[in-house]
Amino acid sequence: MTTIAAANRPSGSVRGRPSPTRWAQRLLFVGLFVYFLLPMVAVILYSLATRWTAHILPDGYTLDWWSRVFSDPTVVGAFATTLVLATLTAILDIALVVPAAYWARVRNPRIRPVIELAAAIPFALPYLVIGFALLQFAGVVAPGLQGTFPLLVLGHAAIAFPFLYWAVDGAMAAAGIERLSEAAETCGASPFQIVRRVVLPNIMPGVVSGALLAFATSFGEFAMVQTVARGVYTIPIWSAEAIRSYSGETGSFNRLAVVTTISFMVLFVLSAIVVYWNRGQTVQLLPGARAIEQREGK
Amino acid sequence: MNAQQPTVPAADEATGTAAPPGPSAAAATPAGRLRSIGAAWGPAIPLLMLVGACLLGPAIVLVAQTVWGANGFTLDNWRKVLGQASNQDAIVTSLELAVVSATLTLIIGSPVAWLISRMLAGRRAFWLGLLNVAANFGGIGLAFAYLATLGSVGMLTLVIQALGIGFVAPRSSSFIALLFAYEYTNIPLFVLLTIPAMGILRDDWWEAAQTASATRRQFWRRVGLPVLTPFLAGGWILIFTWAIGIYGIAYGLAGQSGGTAVHLITLQIGDSLQSDVLFGPARAGVLAVLLMAIATASLLTYRVLLRRALRWF
Repeated sequence: MTTIAAANRPSGSVRGRPSPTRWAQRLLFVGLFVYFLLPMVAVILYSLATRWTAHILPDGYTLDWWSRVFSDPTVVGAFATTLVLATLTAILDIALVVPAAYWARVRNPRIRPVIELAAAIPFALPYLVIGFALLQFAGVVAPGLQGTFPLLVLGHAAIAFPFLYWAVDGAMAAAGIERLSEAAETCGASPFQIVRRVVLPNIMPGVVSGALLAFATSFGEFAMVQTVARGVYTIPIWSAEAIRSYSGETGSFNRLAVVTTISFMVLFVLSAIVVYWNRGQTVQLLPGARAIEQREGK
Repeated sequence: MNAQQPTVPAADEATGTAAPPGPSAAAATPAGRLRSIGAAWGPAIPLLMLVGACLLGPAIVLVAQTVWGANGFTLDNWRKVLGQASNQDAIVTSLELAVVSATLTLIIGSPVAWLISRMLAGRRAFWLGLLNVAANFGGIGLAFAYLATLGSVGMLTLVIQALGIGFVAPRSSSFIALLFAYEYTNIPLFVLLTIPAMGILRDDWWEAAQTASATRRQFWRRVGLPVLTPFLAGGWILIFTWAIGIYGIAYGLAGQSGGTAVHLITLQIGDSLQSDVLFGPARAGVLAVLLMAIATASLLTYRVLLRRALRWF
C-alpha cells in the first residue's frame, strides 16, 4: 500500500532539494486539521467562558453554564427524550434487520436485492422529505398517529436501518455465516440454538457498530423530528429554538455551547467505539465501499 | 449495492427448502402457496413492512397528493409552486450551492483521499478517526459551531480582528457561510467514500509505468485519473445529492437573520410546513417531490457509474 509514497520520498531527496509537493501536502493537512478542530475548540471554550466578545480568548472561565444546563428541567428532559428515542430506534432496527439479513444469506437470496433497494431510499432522499412524506401518509392511513412519538420511532428506524443492515451483512459475510449455520444444522442444532449460539456471537461486532450508528443517526436527527412530531422535544429541537431566538442576551450562547459539547461528545464516543470495533477495515458503512472491497477479494 | 456479486453458497439449498417436499401438491392450494412464501420470506417480512409503511407508501402518497386535486388529476399545484419567484430562487440557489459545494469537495477531497490511502497505518488511523468525527458532526450542532467560530463574536472572527484587520464576518445565512459549514461534513464524507477506491490503483502499475520511463504526471494522466474518474465522479454525485437535501445546518444558520435568509428548497419546505397549516403541505409537497426526483436521478447515475467503474476489475 505504501510503496508509491515510499518511492516518491527518495526521488525527492536524491534531487537534493525539498520537494514542493511535500510542502503542499503538509500545508493541505495542517489546513484540514485546523479546519476540523477549530469549531470544536471554539464550542468547548464557549461552554466555559464567562464573557467572550472582545479578545482572542475568553475573559474568564467558569463551570457555571454546565451546572445551569444540568439543573434546567427543559434541557434534561430533552436529553432524556433524545436518549429514549435513539435507544428504541436502535433496538427496533436490531429486531427487524438481523433476522432479515440472516434469512437473505442462508435461505432466500432474493430478499437481498429487495433490502438493498429499500436501503437506497434513506441513503439518497433527504430526511426532511421522508419525514414530510411520512406525516402526509399517516394523515391518510392513520390520522391518530400523526405527530406522535411512536410514529417518530418508526420513522427513525426506517431511516437508520441501512446502517445496521450494511454492518450486519458485512459481519455475516466475514464470518461465513452460511457455512456455520449449515454445519450447526448438520450437528442437529435447532433454529433457535443456531441463532443464539452460532449466528449472534459471530456477528456481534457488526450488530454493535450498526446499532451504534442507528443510535447516532436518531440522536442528532432534526428534520424528521420537526416535521413528523411537533410535540416531541429533543436536543436538536431545543438547540434550533435556542439559535433562532438568540438576540445577544448573555448566557444563551454559552448554554448552547454546553449542549452542543455534550451531544458532540456522545457522537464522538459512539464513532470511536465503531472505529475500534472495525479496526483494519476502512469503511464498511457505505454501500459503494463494500462493493469495491468485494471485487478486490478482501 | 451490486447485483452481480458471487452467488451465495446456500442458493441451491434455498430453492430446495423454500418449497415443502411435495412442491406441486403444496403449491396448488392457496394455503400451501402462502406457507411456502412464508418460509421463503418470513423473517424478512417485518423489515419489509416497515419499509413499506415508512418509506415506500409515504413516497407514493406524496407524489399522488401533488397531482391530485378536487376534480382528479391536475398540475395546478406544480404550476403555482414553480411559478412563484421565491421558489424559483430557492431551486436555483440550492442547485448552485450543491454544485459548488460538491466541486470544492472533489478538488480538496480527492488528493486527501489518495494521500491518506498511502499513509502508514498509524497516521491513517488518526486521520480516519478525525474524519469520522467530523463527518458525524452535522445538523444544528454544526450550525452553532459555525457561529461560535465565524459568527459575529466567533473565535476566528475575534482572532482576525485582534490582528488589526478590519474583518466583518459574513452573514451567517449567506451563500459563503453555508458553503463553509457544508464543507465541514462533505469533505470527510467524500474522503471516507473514495478511500476504498484508491486501493484499486495498484502500486505495480506505477512501477510498470516507471519501467516504461513514464513521469509521474504521465502516469496520472494516462493511468491514474482514467481509472479513478468514475469513482470520483460517483463521489461528486453523492455529495451533490446530500448537499441539496441538507436542512438542519441551513435552518440553524438562516435563523439569526430573520427575513433576509437565503432561499433553499429545504428551507422553503420547512417554512411552508410551519407557517401555513392549510396550504403549506400542498406547496411543500411539490418541492419535496422535486427533491425526490433529483435524488432518484442522482442515485441511478451513481449506480451506472459504479458498475462501469467496477467492470475494470
